Amino acid sequence: MSEFFQLIVSGLSTGSIYALAAVGFTLLWQASQTINFAQGEFVMLPAFLVLALSVKLGFPLWLAMPLAIILAVLILGVLFKRLVVEPMIKHGTLPLVIATIALGVLLKEMVKEFYSPLGQPFPSLFPQDVVTIFGAVISIPDIANFVIAMGAIVALQLFLGGTRTGRSMQATAQNPDVAQILGVDIKRMVLYTFMINGALAAIASILITPIYLAKFSNGETLGLIAFIAAIVGGFNQIRGALVGGLLIGIIDNLSATYVSAEYRQALPLILLIVIILIRPQGLLGTSEGRTV
Amino acid sequence: MSDSVLSVRNISKSFGGIHAVRDVSFDVEKGEVLGLIGPNGSGKSTLFNCVLGQLRPDRGEVQINGHRVGNMRASRLNKLGVGRTFQQLSVFPQMSVLDNIILAGQEHHGNMATRLFGPSDAGLTKEADQLIAFFRLEHLRDEMAGSLSYGQQKLVDAAMAFMAGPSLVLLDEPAGGVNLTMLGNLRERLETYNREHGTTFVVIEHNMEFVMSLCTRIIVLAEGAIIAEGTPDEIRSNQQVIDAYLGG
Repeated sequence: MSEFFQLIVSGLSTGSIYALAAVGFTLLWQASQTINFAQGEFVMLPAFLVLALSVKLGFPLWLAMPLAIILAVLILGVLFKRLVVEPMIKHGTLPLVIATIALGVLLKEMVKEFYSPLGQPFPSLFPQDVVTIFGAVISIPDIANFVIAMGAIVALQLFLGGTRTGRSMQATAQNPDVAQILGVDIKRMVLYTFMINGALAAIASILITPIYLAKFSNGETLGLIAFIAAIVGGFNQIRGALVGGLLIGIIDNLSATYVSAEYRQALPLILLIVIILIRPQGLLGTSEGRTV
Repeated sequence: MSDSVLSVRNISKSFGGIHAVRDVSFDVEKGEVLGLIGPNGSGKSTLFNCVLGQLRPDRGEVQINGHRVGNMRASRLNKLGVGRTFQQLSVFPQMSVLDNIILAGQEHHGNMATRLFGPSDAGLTKEADQLIAFFRLEHLRDEMAGSLSYGQQKLVDAAMAFMAGPSLVLLDEPAGGVNLTMLGNLRERLETYNREHGTTFVVIEHNMEFVMSLCTRIIVLAEGAIIAEGTPDEIRSNQQVIDAYLGG
């Protein structure tokens, strides 16, 4: 029983990090109908920014991490919107999707070429100690990762639901034409959304990279899992992406222990197929009508 | 001309070889309720879009409260005191009725700092509650707008148009798809608002009974041009209008 509890906590920890990336998917979709297939690479890159700042440029870690988050907001938020999304969205969703796939490949190859093709150790923010709760051995990083990731998502929800800017961002996502007529600066609201996605990706990167090492290919799995989490939970709901991320984190951990480590990557895909067949709008999502 | 809330001068608009609006001019005075009617394809919507700056006319100009509209952005028009309702539903479905109405007024208050750090309701809850009460939506205040009936959403849409304290409200088919009970309520509320606040209305509507009972003056368009103008009684008995509607 204690092992089961241990796996659940560990699953919630990695799941909450998946949820950060999945929430980013839903935010971009809601604000600008952008499906960002470079999201995995968006989570991979900030860890290398931290390494470049700390290892190559000699910044202390406490400074390198916030600087990396700021750089991620600028590069993965502002520049991504200005240089990729704005020129491509005029041509429709499909060209934009292909452009994000290309961007993912570009980011991956750039890191491989200019930093290293080998996995790099990445410092953890937390001591590698454990605590025992109800007989289960839980690592401090697991607890801290969960608290920080959930804290970021709760803060985002409070921002969206409890501030004027958040309300304007919601309005932009739900009905941009009317929001604009009411005086909402929808371009700015969409830009804020991209910046928030950059920040969420950077936080996810700093939390998850100590577990897997910093590697140029980290985004492949992360992007896929975050995408599945967003669909499973409901692509148009932040809380859906949260539930999807947590669910996949738990399933991943349980299946690796109780089923087979070889099939652990297949289970999220099976879950995806089941959800698409039974409830295509996702567990918490709502159906979206589209005029064709 | 300068005393008019809305002044339309010699507006013409063509699409290819089709003359959608031909040399249309009219003024709307403060507190007036003007109806704009006409058969399908008469140019009402094109004219409406020219007035709102969403279409650029080929000729002529529109002034609202003395400001030339040209291709002014919709948000700027809103800040100039122009409210509008939409033919299609225009509420934010995943927000409460209260939040919808606050949103319609919040962009007129504060600066970037208050947007981020000021009260989330921009100090507008009391004002929004008054409008909610005015449109008799108190029981729906905290409901998600998307969960309301079509008629109720039309009322929310109307309430939103008044939140910024407009001097001119353009109502685009407010009666469309609304049941008779709700329609009576909407008309009575609009009449009361007009009487109490002196707000000017321009209404595009197909529902003749609604237009005739709400408006003080009516302009009839046919094939892009004004064919009649007058009080509801004058319009009812105008042979040219009858012919236009009956195809005579």
